[in-house]
Amino acid sequence: MYDNSIKRESSGEKLSEEVFMAIIETRELTKIYTPGRGKKVIGLNKVNLEIEEGEIFGILGPNGSGKTTCLKLLLGILFPTDGEISIMGESQFDVEVKKYIGFLPENPYYYDYLTGPELLYFYGKLFDMDKQAIKERTEYLLNLVKLSDAKKLTLKHYSKGMLERIGLASALLNDPKILILDEPTTGLDPIGCLETRDLILELNKQGKTILLSSHFLSEVERVCNRIAIFHRGNLLATGTLDGLISRYNAETLEELFVKTIEDFDSRYKREI
Amino acid sequence: MKKAWVVAVNTFKESLRKRTLYILLVFAFIAIGASKFFSFLTAEEELKMIKDVSFSTIEFFGALIAIFGAIGALSGEIEKRTIYTLLTKPVTRGNLFIGKFLGMCLILLLNFVLISLFFIGLLIFKKSPPDIETFKTLLLIYVELVLISTITLTVATFATDAFNIILSFFLYIVGHLISYGKQLTERVENTILKGFGQIIYTVIPNYENFAIRDKVVIGIPVSWNYVFKTLIYGVLYIAIVILIGLYFFQKREI
Repeated sequence: MYDNSIKRESSGEKLSEEVFMAIIETRELTKIYTPGRGKKVIGLNKVNLEIEEGEIFGILGPNGSGKTTCLKLLLGILFPTDGEISIMGESQFDVEVKKYIGFLPENPYYYDYLTGPELLYFYGKLFDMDKQAIKERTEYLLNLVKLSDAKKLTLKHYSKGMLERIGLASALLNDPKILILDEPTTGLDPIGCLETRDLILELNKQGKTILLSSHFLSEVERVCNRIAIFHRGNLLATGTLDGLISRYNAETLEELFVKTIEDFDSRYKREI
Repeated sequence: MKKAWVVAVNTFKESLRKRTLYILLVFAFIAIGASKFFSFLTAEEELKMIKDVSFSTIEFFGALIAIFGAIGALSGEIEKRTIYTLLTKPVTRGNLFIGKFLGMCLILLLNFVLISLFFIGLLIFKKSPPDIETFKTLLLIYVELVLISTITLTVATFATDAFNIILSFFLYIVGHLISYGKQLTERVENTILKGFGQIIYTVIPNYENFAIRDKVVIGIPVSWNYVFKTLIYGVLYIAIVILIGLYFFQKREI
């Protein structure tokens, strides 16, 4: 239990005591984008999520469903319009809490003028790690993601798969308690996908809580303990895969996914 | 502050590995070097020409680096989305912005020192080593360049690149003509227009304050009192612009 949590209201200023149980928790989390001319687009609509310590939690949804918005809000890149977020009992805006988080963005872009070790050194310094610790961790991680042979190569010469792998290495640099992966296998070849999946399972065995977003159903099916299905900024369903499949009378995750989305769309059209 | 420095060093490293800086440096060297080929001038006039062209070159190429470098340093991070990897590390947005500012100070310093050394070398070659007035001029040019860069960096926290480039160059030009505007405003009798004019030339950076080169080139000494006053003006202006940049960057959604 993370009982020293703080509640951040939409103003971002008012703080009050609150008790959060899960390692990541959102309450009524809402994000409304205002692209201009009085337009409002719902990015996320009153989402309540609870992610327990040690689980692999998958966020599923078609493109534009709010997966990335949700992750960006959790990471403090975006500001919520309303609702609360707690990570390890702290606000997502607390800089200290980021020491325990590793993040792999979708289609990762890095400083293409740096080599892999230079990139990890730069990020290591931002984590307050000392030179020796960064050096040792770099050796270990480059080995882990099979980039030891590319140490002298600047990132602009990396392939998409190599960029994904250096991204994974940088997400693991601080030995995080929570690993947030946004579409971790996009751009990887089948072998790369398989290796990443195995790595995710291995990291979870080491005690890391993993939150991943994906639109690859098979990926989520193979690695996640629990899932959440997002569509049009709404959280449609959340639970264990078996639980959801039986609740929605589906036979496969694919069927479950299509059913929840179609069900929502038909209700959505009726409301319009 | 330690993390701001880490960001600053990375920003500096980035500019060192890009070709743009070197291309601008080569052009600056060519411009300064060309000023010595006015062999039809008397030795004294040639020296004046070298100083005039060199000061202008240092300032102009410095302004280009200040504006485009600052846009690359912040907007570039946002466009390439590398900023996600920074904002998700234990580093505050404040540290990130200050880091970018310090990084720009380093880039400008390197460019400034290299061109200035070339210029000083040329003066020594012409058997007229630089005097203290030359160094006063160079010092004020550097502070002006940092101010130009800080304004561009701050505008990058809320505006598009195109708007930022136009505004930065507009301010660069208007900021050098501001004393004419001031004289013009003083002649206006309408109090509203006069008040409006006064606000404009108080808010717009007065880059002309830093331009003592015209006096120095023709041998008129500039007092230390003036140099210090201008330095204080520059530092205060930079501090205010940084605070505005911090305010907007804290609120910026990426």
